[in-house]
Amino acid sequence: MANINWRTINIDALEAESSYNFDLSTLTPAVQPVSTADVQALSGQIRQLSRGGDNEGALRGALENAPFGADEQGKSIHLSVVTEILQNIRQAEMTPILQRMYQSENGSEVCDTLMKYLYKGMAQGAPSANATTNATNARNVTPQATGFTQAGGRNFGGGEGGGQAMSVLLSWHEKLVEMVGPGSIVRVMSDRRTV
Amino acid sequence: MSQSLRPYLHCVRSTLTAALSLSDFASQASERHNVPEIEARSSPEVILNPLTVSRNQEERVLVEPSVNSVRVSIRIKQADEIEHILVHKFDRFLTQRAEAFFILRRKSVPGYDISFLITNFHTEEMLKHKLVDFIIQFMEEVDKEISEMKLFLNARARFVAESFLTPFD
Amino acid sequence: MLLLDYQNVLIESLLRDRFAPDATPSSIDQVVSDFDNVTFHISTPNTKTQILVSIRLKCYPELLQYGAQAVLEREYGAYIVQPEAGYDFSVQVDLEKLPASQEERDDLIRRVSLLKRNAMAAPFEQAFDEYTALHEEASHYTSESAPQGVKEGGAVRAIHYREEEAIFIKASHDRVTVIFSTVFREETDRIFAKVFLQEFADARRRAIQNAPQVLFRNDPPLELQGQTGLPKVKGEMSYITFVLFPRHLTPQRREEVISHIQTFRDYFHYHIKASKAYIHSRMRRRTADFLQVLRRARPEAEEKERKTASGRTFRVQG
Repeated sequence: MANINWRTINIDALEAESSYNFDLSTLTPAVQPVSTADVQALSGQIRQLSRGGDNEGALRGALENAPFGADEQGKSIHLSVVTEILQNIRQAEMTPILQRMYQSENGSEVCDTLMKYLYKGMAQGAPSANATTNATNARNVTPQATGFTQAGGRNFGGGEGGGQAMSVLLSWHEKLVEMVGPGSIVRVMSDRRTV
Repeated sequence: MSQSLRPYLHCVRSTLTAALSLSDFASQASERHNVPEIEARSSPEVILNPLTVSRNQEERVLVEPSVNSVRVSIRIKQADEIEHILVHKFDRFLTQRAEAFFILRRKSVPGYDISFLITNFHTEEMLKHKLVDFIIQFMEEVDKEISEMKLFLNARARFVAESFLTPFD
Repeated sequence: MLLLDYQNVLIESLLRDRFAPDATPSSIDQVVSDFDNVTFHISTPNTKTQILVSIRLKCYPELLQYGAQAVLEREYGAYIVQPEAGYDFSVQVDLEKLPASQEERDDLIRRVSLLKRNAMAAPFEQAFDEYTALHEEASHYTSESAPQGVKEGGAVRAIHYREEEAIFIKASHDRVTVIFSTVFREETDRIFAKVFLQEFADARRRAIQNAPQVLFRNDPPLELQGQTGLPKVKGEMSYITFVLFPRHLTPQRREEVISHIQTFRDYFHYHIKASKAYIHSRMRRRTADFLQVLRRARPEAEEKERKTASGRTFRVQG
């Protein structure tokens, strides 16, 4: 007990009434919990559609049935399905598909969900924010012969990885923003129903 | 401008435009305080979902919005140790002038090379679209500057080496 | 100002002034610094016409070991005097007994201003001589049957001319190897040095076929095995090896090659510093540019003019 630094204790966390302990779930619209198995089944169906050549239907299905209530694992399964479909669609088809989707019923909501997936897709493989995990990351260079000390190790050369996948997402993003405007981005930031 | 840079910057621009909708917001934790909520993290409900825009593994922008402040972190491409040291030096030049840069965060977020912290006070006294322009121009020119400096260094090294060795010839 | 001069410019210009026919002798007392912590003292201790030039080198005892005395006696002969207290070697020039012709005078100025170069040249000359002897000897054998001594070459001559840095010279029957050890404390310097050295190493392959071979590494090269006094800490040290081939070792080229290779360490460091300075000024300018862009984000503050009761106008500050 004696060696606890009292100054570092966040007393707000101990106070049930403080804003620090605000219950975020009260802000989140009720979402149906979805099990990972259900997500898996759904992604199977969507892949089926996509393989059948109906990319538009597959995309629509994936976005309308986004598993907001699934756990991390389920969400990442669904994300990989969505990115797969997005990559299957050719550059020229993007705008017509988006237009049809936007003009249909609930189109705005579907577009917002698509926007969420675009950002989530780009966040994949982000550098870990934690310095300690960085040090154990096998991809990092060990200090080189020149004795690199001034800044944390970085992975040189291999940086162009994922450039192709990202550029697909970037062009989707550009076309989507052109149509629905920045409001959609604001909704991605503020919507507590994350994908 | 390279082919993939344009959509990347375009995406950053629209993301920033959307994120820079800030309003004054007094701290809920301590009275008569007004702090950037994204840094204080004392009220979870005013912090919004962070967005990442990336061009590839090594070049990405992290936008962390909140009700009264946005933190923008940029990871600059570094292909080898020369570029790494140049970015590091450039960083130092910038952060040491953080006072004059208003929106520059003195320390970058881990995993990124440079961070900006834009609060509602900045957006109140400066034009929002110009702030976005600034960050975009910054991203554009940093890359260019780094590769130019690297080319310069190589060219100079070559010239110096050849000048020294020529008398032996 | 790309290549460094071999002579000490201050000594040169000072002597040139004094040697001029219409110069009036005056007393001098100057301490002059040169590269590698070398100090000169130029003074007129006895009369105004007798100029005493003294030099102090950190590695003088080592140089003596490698035959510096002979080299200096050859170069300065009659001008040598007893070394001044606190210095290693002194020469004295009497303005009243100068050589008659202008050429001889110029030669004297040149020689005195090359004092440091000549002192440092001794181990190089010795190594070059050794090479000649070994070469002669080796020509009697085929490469397989050569006795151990000829194959291996001579001992390594070490000159610890700076606090932590040294030059190592080793003669073999077909080459003379000169190794510089140098310290880079700063991360940036190390990386810049690597870029520069890479170019030194590549220059031979690319443009200057006849240049000495240049190698560099961070741990002591094999030639230095068994050397004492090598720093234990790794990382900060760089070892740069120049391999001088027979074409550099001919008697005609020798003077020039010795002078030139001596300047390597300072030349190398000088250009690294210069590049850093340039890059820093460039970054500073670019940073200022960015500030300019950011200032554009601030809307023009409209001129606020107010009037006092008496009708005078004034500007509102801020």
